[in-house]
Amino acid sequence: MVEYSNKPSRAPAPPIASRNCDDPRIDYKETTYLQKFVTPQAQMLSRKRTGFCTQCQRQLKEAIKRARHMALMPFVS
Amino acid sequence: MNLYEGMFLLDNQVVRADWKTAKSLVVDLIKKNGGEVVTIRRWDERRLAYPIRGRRRGTYYLTYFKAAPNAIATTRREFELDERVLRYLMLRAETVPDAELELSKAELAEGFTVPPPPADDEPLVVEEPVVAEETAPEAAPDAPDAIEDVPAEASTEV
Repeated sequence: MVEYSNKPSRAPAPPIASRNCDDPRIDYKETTYLQKFVTPQAQMLSRKRTGFCTQCQRQLKEAIKRARHMALMPFVS
Repeated sequence: MNLYEGMFLLDNQVVRADWKTAKSLVVDLIKKNGGEVVTIRRWDERRLAYPIRGRRRGTYYLTYFKAAPNAIATTRREFELDERVLRYLMLRAETVPDAELELSKAELAEGFTVPPPPADDEPLVVEEPVVAEETAPEAAPDAPDAIEDVPAEASTEV
């Protein structure tokens, strides 16, 4: 007999970021934009969730870490 | 000489005394180490994401300056030692944004004033535990009245 799982299939959340690179908003000063790429606990989202390319995700990582250092964004909340 | 972007988080106590001396504090330290300030302006006054040295709020100054690469290390040490500077960040920059030139020029104009920082940045105090027991007995006598109404409604439906 085939066993079926009762778990509902969970579709992955669509990526947040737009496709164009060279986004000037990826900057540690643009905290309202950066807030979109962290969880409610202020953890960074994975590349899978943000939809950024490798280079953009790396820039995002730097920007969020700089913002955290300057107390513009929380490390944890 | 390279172009750098610097952001400095200053203690609101200094800014409250005089925002122009707070600004010159940053300028003087850069100039002392052979730097040349292109633009400097008060970027924002906001609540910090987490308290630093007991401060809940702070004022950010954004500056673009030119400095020799080997002067950055000594400049860093100066800012590190200054207790009025809570945080600093110095990055290489390609160009000075046009908006920054205008905004820093506007700040130099006569009669430009900066709103004084709100008085919310007192050193952290231990919050007193809230007494919740006093409110609890008041809510209890109301509860039986509410329960009595429910059976009366239920009987009319049948």
